Formats: sequence, structure tokens, C-alpha cells
Amino acid sequence: MNRTRVDVDAMSAERIGLTWLRAAVTPLGAFGRRHDESIAPYGPGDEDRARAEIAEVVALAERMDADGVLRVRAALRAVPEPTPIVARARAGDALTDVDFYELGRFVDALDALARAWDAAEHDDAVATRRPPVLEGLRAVLAPGRDGATFYLADAFAPGLSAAREALSAAEAEYEARRETIAARVRDAIGIDPVGDEFVVLRDVYDGPLPDDVLVVRETPTYRAASIRIVAPARDAALTALAEEEEAARRALAERVVREADAVIAATRALGALDRLLARVAFKQRWDGCVPSFASDRIAFADATFAPLAEALAAHGRRYTPLSLDLHGVAVLTGPNMGGKSAALSTVGFLSACVALGVPPPAREASLPLVETIMWIGGEGPEDRTRLLSSYAAEVVRARDTLAAASPCALVLVDEFARTTGPREGRALLVAFVEALRARGAFALVATHFDGVAEAASAPHLRIAGLRGALPRAIAPGDFEAALDAINAAMDYRVVEARDANAASDALAIARLLGLDDALVERARSLHDLE
Amino acid sequence: MQRSSTSTSAPEALYELATAAARSVVVVGTAKNAGKTTTFNALRAVAHRRGTPVAVTSIGRDGEPADALDAEPKPRVRLSAGTLVALPSGLIPRSPALVILGSGAQSALGITVFARAVLPTVCEIAGPPTARSMRATIDTLRALGDGPVLIDGAIDRIAALAGGDDAVIVATGAASGATVARVAAVAADTVARLTIPGRDPSREHARVVHVAGALDARDAEELLAGPRDITVVVADPTRIAVRGALFAKLRAGVDLRCERPLNVIACTTSPVGRDATLSPRDLVEAVARATGLPTFDVVADLAA
Repeated sequence: MNRTRVDVDAMSAERIGLTWLRAAVTPLGAFGRRHDESIAPYGPGDEDRARAEIAEVVALAERMDADGVLRVRAALRAVPEPTPIVARARAGDALTDVDFYELGRFVDALDALARAWDAAEHDDAVATRRPPVLEGLRAVLAPGRDGATFYLADAFAPGLSAAREALSAAEAEYEARRETIAARVRDAIGIDPVGDEFVVLRDVYDGPLPDDVLVVRETPTYRAASIRIVAPARDAALTALAEEEEAARRALAERVVREADAVIAATRALGALDRLLARVAFKQRWDGCVPSFASDRIAFADATFAPLAEALAAHGRRYTPLSLDLHGVAVLTGPNMGGKSAALSTVGFLSACVALGVPPPAREASLPLVETIMWIGGEGPEDRTRLLSSYAAEVVRARDTLAAASPCALVLVDEFARTTGPREGRALLVAFVEALRARGAFALVATHFDGVAEAASAPHLRIAGLRGALPRAIAPGDFEAALDAINAAMDYRVVEARDANAASDALAIARLLGLDDALVERARSLHDLE
Repeated sequence: MQRSSTSTSAPEALYELATAAARSVVVVGTAKNAGKTTTFNALRAVAHRRGTPVAVTSIGRDGEPADALDAEPKPRVRLSAGTLVALPSGLIPRSPALVILGSGAQSALGITVFARAVLPTVCEIAGPPTARSMRATIDTLRALGDGPVLIDGAIDRIAALAGGDDAVIVATGAASGATVARVAAVAADTVARLTIPGRDPSREHARVVHVAGALDARDAEELLAGPRDITVVVADPTRIAVRGALFAKLRAGVDLRCERPLNVIACTTSPVGRDATLSPRDLVEAVARATGLPTFDVVADLAA
């Protein structure tokens, strides 16, 4: 199936970590970024290509050392851009010596890249990915290169040497004639004309000026004069050399054109390598697997929602990997702070990973390629600019989601209708789940409403929740200790729910987070009466 | 006085003074056509005569055949064999070819290219667009060769050199005034601003006022209206935007200093202007008196 893109709006991209993921796997060099932009995300029908890319990423990540990958990527970033020069040469434009210098830099950068590749520890199985070197272009430029420099050397054209010798002789003759005139000025006037122009004060000397000295300005107190030398031999030598040099550049440009295909192929190879190594670095950082593609389920084991894991690590906290098995539409309930939203994000994140050819960070994963990923819950920036209330924004997104929902869509619903009355909100959510099921979409629907899954005849999953009672006493304001306590007590596993109750452990968590004890006890007594 | 052939010429004396003061020398003008490029070319010519390879670049665009604004003819910059140059790729002369040594910052005229002349050539030169890249360009030229680095400068763009060890020569002339006295006064005002001393905690007042950005006329009036026992600090001399009598009052009234001073070593004079032609001797002597700096007319071979 030919596709051009996977639809993910800005809010959904943010919530499922797609924005973070794109940044994490952006190639470092210009070729890689260009290559990356030319490749559409994988969608339904692209399973073989997606699997092949991810499998290559995983294989390389296991066969190359991480430091070596970093060094190769740094070398990729330093490769200069030869494409515009080659394009101008192909179009017949004259190239400059700076262009030839830049092409030389490109050749050198490829060499450095190949050395970095060779220095990285890897086995022979990845040798086919070795960056190209351009021996042909190197040979073309070699006569003008001394280290990293470039000069339009005599060897580039048979007439260059003679033309330069002629100009050099003419310049020497010119300098000698100029010095002869300057000596006459010194002798006659007593001043030393360092440059071609000089001033003679009339009270110092008011007599005739030497031959070949022209007066360019006269005033009552001085004459401004200039040494003028007519040097047709030098002018002719300059013209002859200019013609020889232009001819040499044209010939050199024609030889560059003959190497153009190799240069373009090299830039494409570099682009592909840069994209590949960005993904390899991701895999080495976050681990990941080669997924199997299934059209009827989204299932993964020990998956990591990397953006959250990174944020937790920055605070010295550990992420708990997540496992889930989703067939069609399921309702997810569980305690506050139990990871319902993280579970939704993880489903979206892993789907985004495979769409971008990135190994999903999980021990194993089986999932489809989708055309659309949509998040409903809360407001996005665009909703605020439309002056919609939270509820109205959700309803508008639900309307648009249903219009696009299909078996190729993934819908992630985070507490839809929580900001309206609970009876009507629950009813609306049940009807929405039924509508999603009717359209055959994949959906995970997190909610605190009771009985939604049963009412909509959908599978009911829940976060396992608190293993036991939370400690009652945490020092007031010690938020970190409260989080530690919740983390220690919470079982983040997603399990099949055995009853319709959507218990949220809200009161225990509120107490732990420092809400007044008496207030919480009053709430508990009210709750128990119901 | 105009020198005899047996004594050191004014260009030679200026070259010796400048290269003894610093490895890199920038020439700035008090006005357009004040003789800046003429001074620059005189220094370059002395180096060529001595067989000393130099490096050259520009702050701003220089060496073009005619002034971009008034179409007046301007001195070209001649590169002797062996001269190092930093200039935008768009200004590299096509012939005779240069050795391309490296590349640097991007400017409107292309990337900055470092090159060496193999045969003599004449060209326009221009420099990189930002203070940071100008500093990097000068440092690269220093690293590429052993000789002096000569910079055709612009007085409003030398902040990059503040705090460095570069020497500054101020070119002035009839382009900035119709009389000798006026030219001398402008030169004195310019030199006074550019030679604001660096900070010296042992000599500062207890109260130090830091002026962020430019110190303009309103700032100056406010400072003069307040207590005088203060030290006023600007980032570098180019941040002082007040001129003439108000600047003189400010300098006399408060302890004016800068974080990054400039090293101004000499003046040069040019007696020829569009509206006036002045006495070369009177001009060089008046400017020397007004600025207190060694002053040279490199074309009339005068020094004072």
C-alpha cells in the first residue's frame, strides 16, 4: 500500500512522545536530515520494509560499540556539502578554486568517516555499511592538493607553468622599473615613495618631477604625484594567465562532472547511514526489539516509554517497564498515579517507533502499522486558541476521531468526559467505546468511571494497583518521600480486571500526598455510606 | 618635516611603531575617505619592501575600485606574493589563482576563505560579519603565518578587537573637516573616546555605574547631573555614543572606564578631501598636538 504519511496531530504527538522520538532519532548531518525527510513513516502495507530497517538497526546496534557509533556520527556531522557544487558543474557553470577546495574537504571528510567506521568495533557482517570513499575524485583533485589546501597547480594544464613564469618575469620587470623611478624620486626630491602615490611639498621641492611621475593634484602648498608605469608586457601576461587558468578550471570541472554520480551516490549513502546510526544509537540507549507485525493485536512485554523514563532518570527515579495485550478496544481502569496515562502513551509510543523504523523499546512486541494515532483527553494548544472548554475540546476531538476511526487507527482515550457530570459522562463514554468497536479501531480507553467495559461489552484491563496499605505518615511537604512510598507500594502491571469496579485508591493517595487527615476520614465515611 | 632619503620614511616609521606594538594592526578612519586604506596599503608596501610576508583582512568591505556610496575612486589592495588574506569567497580573484588554505564564517558575500597569494594580485577585501568571527579570523591569520596581520578596519566595528592585543591606528583627514583645526578636533575627540582606560580597581571610586549597551547623550546628562565621585564603566570604547563637548564634559566630570580597552598607538593624516585641501604639514602637526599620539602622513612622508 502506497502511503505518504501517518496522521498524528500536535497534541497526540506530544502525549505519545512522538515529538521527543523525532528529536531523539534526528540524524546529525545535513545529508541524513535530508534523507530522513524524504522517507515517509511506515504504514499499513509497509511491514516488510519496516521490519527490514528495524532488523538492520538491531543487528548493527549489537555489532558496533556505542562509542564507535558516536564517533562515526560526529564524523558524519562534519562532512561538508558537495551537492550544489556538483550541480553547478553539471549545468556547465564555471567552478571556482574554493569549489575545488570544498570538494577536497568532502573527500577528506569521507576518509575520516571511513577511518572512524573502521575504528569502531564491529564484525564483518556490517561491513557492507562502510561509508564510501571517493578515490576517483581524490585522484582528480590530487595535483592541486597539499594536505587540506587547494591550488590550481601547474599540473592541471600544460600552459599554466609557462604563463606563470611569464607573469612572474613581467612582474619582476615592473617592480624593477618602479624601483628605478622611486630611486629618481628619492634622489631628486628627497622623499621615499613607498606606494605608487606620494605628495611633494612645494617648500621642500618645487622643481620638475622625474620622468614617469604624473601630477594628479596641485595646490598652492603641495603637488600630489603618482608613479605611472605603462607595462603592456605585464598586462599581456596577466591576460594570458587568466585565460590559461580559466581553461584549466573548465577542464577540471569536466573531470568533476565525470565523478558526479559517485559524489551523489556517496551523499545518499551518507544520508542513509546517518539515519541508520541515529536509530542504532537509540537502540543502544533504550534497547528494543524487532517486532512482529499483527493486524489484530497490540501486545508488548517490558516496554519503556522512553520520554518518561528519561524524565524519571533525571530525578534519580526508575521507570517500571510495562506489558500489555490489546485486542481491538479495551477499557483501562486503576488507581490514581498507577500509570494509566503512561500505559496509553506507551502504546502510542511503540506504534510511533515502528512507524519511524525504530526498534520499539520492549523485550518483545507485536503490533500493526497504523495510519492514524489519535489522543483524546485534556486540551491541546490548538484547543485553547479555539477558546473551547476542556469538555468541548474533548467532544470536538471525539467527533473528529470517530470520523477517521478505522481498523488502521489507534485511538488513545484518557479520561474522556471527566469534566462533565459523572452520569452523563459515563453514558457518553460507553457509547463512544461502542462506536470505536463498531469501526474496528484499536483503542485503549482509560477511565475512573465504573462499569464502562461491561456496559460496552469491551475487554476490561486494570492497573494492578496498590499491593497493600500505604504508610499513613509522611513528613508534611516531603513530596519525594510520598512518591517513593507510592512507587514502592504500586504494582504497575496491566492485568485483566475481574469486576466492574474502577477503584482508584484516591483517598489513600490523597492522604499520602498531605491532604488533611480529618478531611480524608470525612470523605471515607461519606464514601462508605454510599 | 618631509624626510630626506637618508632618514627613516614616515611609512617605515609607522610600520616599525605598529609592529613593535602588536602582532595585528587595525587601521580605522574618523570619516569615509580619511585615508584609511591608503595607510593600510602603506604598511603593506613597507612589509613587501622588507620581504616580510603579511596577512591582511578587513572589517567591512574595502579595496573596491570606487566607493559604493559616492563612486569616488578608492585605493585597491595589492597582495604581494606570499601574502595571506582572509576574504569572502565571492571576492577571491580568479587570476592569478590563490592557494586556498581554509574556510571560516559565512557572510553575505560567501564563506570567509583563508588564502595565500602565489603571484601578485589586486583585489577587494572584506571581512566576516560578526565580532566573534572577526576575532576568530584574526586568530586564524596569526596561526597561518609568522608576519604581521594588517586589518583595514571600521571605527564602528572594532568592538571585536577590544580587550585584545591588537594595535589601532586612527586615520583622519580633510574628509572629516574643512579646516586643520576642525580635523584636529575631530581626531582628538575620536582618540579620546577610543582610549578610554580599562578598569583599575585600585583607582576606582566606591560607586561604580555599569552602562549596559551604548552610553548615549541622555545617559551622559544624567551622569553629569549626579554625584561626580563615581566610576562609569562601559563594555568597550565603541559603546560611547556621545561626541564633542558633551563627551569632553563627561570625561572631565566622571571616571570613565571600559571593561575591554583598545590599544590606540598612532594617527595618520590625509590632506585631501572632497571640499577642502589642507596643508599636509600643518595637518600632521595639529593632529599630533591634539591627540598626543605619534602622527604620520604616509603619502607626504611627514611625521610629528
